[in-house]
Amino acid sequence: MSAAIQGTAAAEGVDVSAARRPGSIRSVAFHEPTAIAGLAIIGIFVLIALLSPFLLPGDPKEKVGPIFEHPSASHPLGLDGGGADMVKLLIAGTRVSLLVGFCAALVSALIGGTVGLFSGFYGGKTDIALMRMTDYVIVIPDIPLMIVAAALFGRSLTNIIIIIGIIYWTTTARLIRAQVKSVRERVYVKRARALGAGNRRLIFKHVLPQVAPLLIANTVLLVAYAIFAETFITFLGLGDPSVISWGRLIENAFTDDAILNNAWWAIVPPGLCVTLVVLGATLFGQSLEDALNPRLRVGHLSVRRFKVRPLRGKLDSE
Amino acid sequence: MTPLLEAEDLNVWFELPGGSELHAVRGISFELEPGERFGLVGESGCGKTTAMLTIMGLLPPNASVAGEVRLNGENILARGEESVSPHRWNDIAMVFQGAMNAFNPVQTVGAQIEEPMHLHGIAEGKMARRHVEELLERVGISKDRAARYPHEFSGGMRQRAAIAMALACEPKILLADEPTTALDVMVQAQILELLASLANDFDLALMLVTHDLPIVAQVCDRAAVMYAGEIAEAGTIDALYHTPRHPYTRLLFAAIPDLHAGGERVASIPGAPPRLDRPIVGCPFQPRCDKAFEPCPTVTPRLKRVGEAHDAACHLNDLVREATA
Amino acid sequence: MRSFDFVAKRVLFAALTVFVAITLNFVLFRTLSGDAVSALRCRQCTAQFKAYQREQLGLDKSKWEQYTIYLQGLAHGDMGKSLRSERPVTEELWQPLKNTMPMVALGTLFSIVFGILIGVISAWRRATWADRTGLWSGLAFYSMPPQWLGLLIVLFVAGALGLPTAGIKDPTLGILGDASTWEVFVDRMRHMILPALTLGLVLYGEYALVVRSAMLETLGEDYVLTARAKGLTNWATVWRHGLRNALLPIVTLVALSLGFIIGGSITIEYVFSYPGIGLQVVEAIDQRDYPLLQGAFLLLTLSVILANLVADLLYFKLDPRVSS
Repeated sequence: MSAAIQGTAAAEGVDVSAARRPGSIRSVAFHEPTAIAGLAIIGIFVLIALLSPFLLPGDPKEKVGPIFEHPSASHPLGLDGGGADMVKLLIAGTRVSLLVGFCAALVSALIGGTVGLFSGFYGGKTDIALMRMTDYVIVIPDIPLMIVAAALFGRSLTNIIIIIGIIYWTTTARLIRAQVKSVRERVYVKRARALGAGNRRLIFKHVLPQVAPLLIANTVLLVAYAIFAETFITFLGLGDPSVISWGRLIENAFTDDAILNNAWWAIVPPGLCVTLVVLGATLFGQSLEDALNPRLRVGHLSVRRFKVRPLRGKLDSE
Repeated sequence: MTPLLEAEDLNVWFELPGGSELHAVRGISFELEPGERFGLVGESGCGKTTAMLTIMGLLPPNASVAGEVRLNGENILARGEESVSPHRWNDIAMVFQGAMNAFNPVQTVGAQIEEPMHLHGIAEGKMARRHVEELLERVGISKDRAARYPHEFSGGMRQRAAIAMALACEPKILLADEPTTALDVMVQAQILELLASLANDFDLALMLVTHDLPIVAQVCDRAAVMYAGEIAEAGTIDALYHTPRHPYTRLLFAAIPDLHAGGERVASIPGAPPRLDRPIVGCPFQPRCDKAFEPCPTVTPRLKRVGEAHDAACHLNDLVREATA
Repeated sequence: MRSFDFVAKRVLFAALTVFVAITLNFVLFRTLSGDAVSALRCRQCTAQFKAYQREQLGLDKSKWEQYTIYLQGLAHGDMGKSLRSERPVTEELWQPLKNTMPMVALGTLFSIVFGILIGVISAWRRATWADRTGLWSGLAFYSMPPQWLGLLIVLFVAGALGLPTAGIKDPTLGILGDASTWEVFVDRMRHMILPALTLGLVLYGEYALVVRSAMLETLGEDYVLTARAKGLTNWATVWRHGLRNALLPIVTLVALSLGFIIGGSITIEYVFSYPGIGLQVVEAIDQRDYPLLQGAFLLLTLSVILANLVADLLYFKLDPRVSS
């Protein structure tokens, strides 16, 4: 998966005046329709996750009826292969999946951000060394590595979070490195240095604030990757067995032969939740990134043509 | 005698996301005679580039146009894209702003100069290649550079190659949009000289669009000053410089730093041009004008004749006329 | 010479990465095996048995010795023996590899072709319904977990199309007399289609989005405006100046997504019980067959490195601006 998807969520349109100035996160998040949509989707799920202790009295895995019972009034999404209520399972899963997603994204962002920061700021040998290391890490296929690491280090939730975090930091590192390099060249950093500011001060007071918005935008995208990755790992039986996550629900559906029982309600909802959250995070994160890295361009080619209006007569002040 | 190129009451609107419209070009008219050198001057955002692009119909889909652009008397904008596209490169060619990027990085320069020749049936195969080499040499580039890629050319050379490309189909009119911006001073002078000499040799009408007054003064015979999508003043370079009849023109020319006049501060015009996505009431320059008076904020000045082939849109000229009546 | 310089550098880097990958592989799995043996809990798993296993796996020797033995083995194409079947790992992996490759190739081809098609149309007809459909379908498929999509396809599509959803061959074929090559071919294809389709759909999303944005980027370049000014028609310009330039990021993307292809195919093969290298990986994990897992992992890593090298060289060929 790549961070090379650009402009997908950017507003369609033409800004005829000079290139749009970079907006702040706030201006985008609350004005761009795609960003709003993405944020709304994530928001709903976060809300569910936060409210889950109140929504779930008792054990969600509790058997409340026959296995794979059809959806009914009392159980709107039916029962799973163990006779537990799907709705309750989904809510429980929301909390875990989002937790893994956010934490792993944070780990990735921290590693990637630090590597990128130091690489871009110090340049020279540090840069070369760090980038070489990044190149090697990139080449290793992520899923097999995750599988192996999970098999190696055990299947606890913490381990999974760390593993996912350790694998996905490379694109962040490259992105931040590029940004840091360009920020470094900017006048005020040079000026600050001329005034005798030490490296640490430069990094934290001048470079980091400039880089932070992009890092945040990227972290949102990382959340999407992380949730995705968790479903992979769990599906292959390497997830934490004591915990319910959306990935586990999909796995359960598979191993309990939900297909043979035609129990679509056990299969469709958990995957749908993952898809929606990933979609939401991608939309939101991508609009943020686009706003912070503005590359708005006029398309010079289109099937549509410019229009000709009949002469209206001299335009007075309207 | 009909002028070679004539624009009459040209208006261009752009649809903006969100529904509003940007009225970028607000009813301008100008003429270009064969072999003439004409400059269109103004700050960035005044609509001069858009006006130039409109002549060749190179507008994006969210643009709408009103008015006429007549080539040898025929309105080439009559049916929009359909009527204007046959004239591209054959009759009117253009050198773009930042010709640095006018070339496709993955094709050789020679191939790109040849492309329009094939397209318009001017030349094929070996003949085309020889023609390319001649053009390159004429603009001062050695002919074995035709097989090179654009990134192997320096900025000035690329600009010259772009000019060669513009001449590929022997047009009668050459439009140049900021041809020397982003080039260093020495190269600028060379390019301008090249343009002037080419205009002479090939009997080209040259229309230069720029914000850089000294260039216009050097190369052009006549010029029009644009402000906020309208023409503020038009006339010979001499007239504009010595007897400007619009405060904006005067201030523009005064803003050129004079290296020889020691100690004088560089004049600049405070304020900013008006927004073009809203209707403009009265004179667009009025908020920044040092000579604004009673009618200026409410009555739009019309472009009127103020001298020999000299027009200006300013209420002050009415005062003069009244005074001399 | 520019070409030689560049190629040499790239190949060298790839070789270096291969070496790093092999070492990483070794370190990972030695730890795995060591732990695995210690963790063995069964009736016969006495201390002597564990010592015997250790000896079998060569764990009783020093780290460096083990490393050298491993390298020597690799040089001879020996990746150890599967714990479960006692057969050489290379043998165990060969057939699954032959099964996976056509399936993945088919799926990737599908995704590239449709990705480019939809991406180009989307960019060209920007902000029309065609664009929006392409955009949203791309985003939707991009966000779906491959295994879930696979399950959906099994649930809703397989039955309707009458396609098999498990394995690679029909067990009844050949029972009533020898099956012809054609029949075998058709049978294989029928089993390959659904997993390949799943993989294709998941990948298509990302490709369509990237192609679209690469095209939009390219179409906004000045040289496209120049081409239009020179009198080129829309189609000629899109092809000659647009797509040709947009190919560059596309090539990079395909190479970068190889890791994802591998991961995706693992889960997809699991869902469809398709006996490829992905399913082998899953089973090896399940059965703690570490030598097999190690071999499979190494193979997968090497293929990613190779694909990246090919992509680099291809990019070099396509873009004259690239120098060493």
